[in-house]
Amino acid sequence: MTPDATFLDSTELVLNMGPQHPSTHGVLRVILKLDGEKVLGTDCVLGYLHRGVEKIAENRTWAQFNPYVDRMDYVAAISNGLGYCLAVEKLLNLEVPGRAQAVRVILTELNRIGSHLLWLGTHALDIGAITPVFYCFREREATLNIFEKYCGARLTTHAFRVGGLQYETYEGFEKEVNEFCDMFLPKVDEYEELLTGNRIWIGRLKDVGILTGEECKEYGVTGPVLRAAGVKWDLRKAQPYSGYEKYEFDIPTCQNGDTYDRYMVRMQEMRQSVRIIRQAVASIPEGPIMGKAPKVIKPPVGEAYVSIEAPKGELGYYVVSDGSTQPYRVRVRPPSFINLQALDRMIAGGLVADVVAIIGTLDIVLGEVDR
Amino acid sequence: MSLLKKVFLVDLFQGLWVTFRNQHPKHLVTEQYPAERPMVAERYRGAPRLNINPENGETLCIACNLCALACPETLIVVTSERNEQTKRKELTTFTYDTSRCMFCGLCEDACPVDALELTQDFELASYTREGQIWDRQMLEEGPRPTPYKC
Amino acid sequence: MAATPWDSELARELKERFGDRIIETSTYLGQNFIVTKPDAAIPVLEYLKLEADFDYLVDVTAVDWPKRPERFDLVYIVYSFARNERVRIKTYLPEGFKPESSVGVHLTANWLEREVYDMFGIQFAGHPDLRRILMPDEWQGHPLRKDYSILRQDQTWVRENLEIESGQ
Ligand code: SF4
Ligand code: SF4
Repeated sequence: MTPDATFLDSTELVLNMGPQHPSTHGVLRVILKLDGEKVLGTDCVLGYLHRGVEKIAENRTWAQFNPYVDRMDYVAAISNGLGYCLAVEKLLNLEVPGRAQAVRVILTELNRIGSHLLWLGTHALDIGAITPVFYCFREREATLNIFEKYCGARLTTHAFRVGGLQYETYEGFEKEVNEFCDMFLPKVDEYEELLTGNRIWIGRLKDVGILTGEECKEYGVTGPVLRAAGVKWDLRKAQPYSGYEKYEFDIPTCQNGDTYDRYMVRMQEMRQSVRIIRQAVASIPEGPIMGKAPKVIKPPVGEAYVSIEAPKGELGYYVVSDGSTQPYRVRVRPPSFINLQALDRMIAGGLVADVVAIIGTLDIVLGEVDR
Repeated sequence: MSLLKKVFLVDLFQGLWVTFRNQHPKHLVTEQYPAERPMVAERYRGAPRLNINPENGETLCIACNLCALACPETLIVVTSERNEQTKRKELTTFTYDTSRCMFCGLCEDACPVDALELTQDFELASYTREGQIWDRQMLEEGPRPTPYKC
Repeated sequence: MAATPWDSELARELKERFGDRIIETSTYLGQNFIVTKPDAAIPVLEYLKLEADFDYLVDVTAVDWPKRPERFDLVYIVYSFARNERVRIKTYLPEGFKPESSVGVHLTANWLEREVYDMFGIQFAGHPDLRRILMPDEWQGHPLRKDYSILRQDQTWVRENLEIESGQ
């Protein structure tokens, strides 16, 4: 501070948050420009977890690249796998059997619940509520157990293959999934009991980090953030894939687009996922689990863009084939990366404490931001 | 929130009631690993194993090299020798670098005779990097972790 | 299966408006794409946004084809909430060509174009903040170019900053 600075003047303070900060959810570094407690601007420094996934793809065969996509959004690995498989199937113009589609939907929705639970637990932890994280992880464990029994891995599952599924469902799969649904719905109410009416929770989240529908579109923000701003848009409804058109569910929306609304939307989404899972389990058709995928995947020359509604937003794969066994280019449109870009707008004029709330509410996974 | 609710801390007690309900010992979910062995699923993809034929103790592997070709990390190296009498390829060495493995299961799927298998063992730690590279003997016998004693 | 011409009102309108600056309007696997001359990409994006409701820029990316005289494909993907339709806009750029930035049309493009610059070395004219985004600032080379491989990575940077012999 210069000597003649008076009491009313203040100099800009630059504060480094991260890359090792517990509430940046990984290795995100945010450079904050502060005026006292007020945030004037942010600059995100990314790339600490950059592994060059897109370059790796160019040096693997189409089938070999499949396990790598799990390592981007590792919280929702199954969604990543589904997106990639759908993209390659599109290039191959391949039909996936109904049974495989239904099982895919069940697992992806379970994964969405798991992802939202992890978000809820850590977000609440950031805000200062310690209890929910234990309960959330307890229920998430149940979804992970189902994955483990189904495909042998819990986190980076590699559950799907191009053309369908590698593994048949295990004995008692339907029963276990149904039991999970019955067990889970009351638990969501329990989380809501803990948080929804809590005055600290409301105080920290209401009217924090507002992003209107128009701004969301400007910034390309998708997923629960967009829906919390009142835009009723979900790729599962807008452009159904993998048989989502067969299931009945609602798209939960809210109006204000603040952090609290995003919380409400995600809570509702978990309930809707349970609804989808119940319908899908009740109607798994009999039949093969693998489509007519060639042994060596060699898509014709061409390109395709396929996107799905991942727990975080629109997850897209732009795949280009030059007719060989290796991808010519795989581009991932990561929802976390693009949603994070709106951080600057959401934070403008907020307080330092809100930064934590806003990073939490965006539900980013750094593995996907940096790839 | 109405004033009365605010004064009597209704939201606080509501939350405390949830925590209280979960105190009951029947809600305990913590696993006491390593004192207690966790149950992993049957399909679990853990430590690799090279199966041997229980009848004659010979390896099932026919040294076709398909697993090495399927692996995205190319961490399997198979060498073989042609047996002059039977005119068949016979496995000589098999190395598997567990430190680079991501347990995706592609090698296991590729094996035509189910010789290579990912098993339920999950304790793969070792003191050196070299210890992570498993040779044929290690793959056939499986890992031998030191048991935990309380 | 090859790409077939994309026959729709929008395609006709675009052709009428931009004439021969639009090279191709086609459909492949049910996905529509437009190929434009490099200088027409931004006007087309703007037209699509203002007159045809394509208000959401999904992605900006590039593909490297080192054997072609126009080395890069620059791809914009836009989506319209009102029409529930997605369109890809492609342009072919020679090495060293500086396309105009689309940040003026869609704010999303800011980081996406930085990533394209980082990975391919395509410089966008008029971008407000063209820095590397995923790789370190002083890194040499652009990883997603086809002539870049693990053996050609920036060893000097690795040695200086990580104090190990190589990043492999
Ligand atoms: S599990 Fe995957 S990474 Fe590991 S050896 Fe097998 S194919 Fe390779
Ligand atoms: S694929 Fe099976 S049989 Fe062939 S070399 Fe590998 S382990 Fe042996």
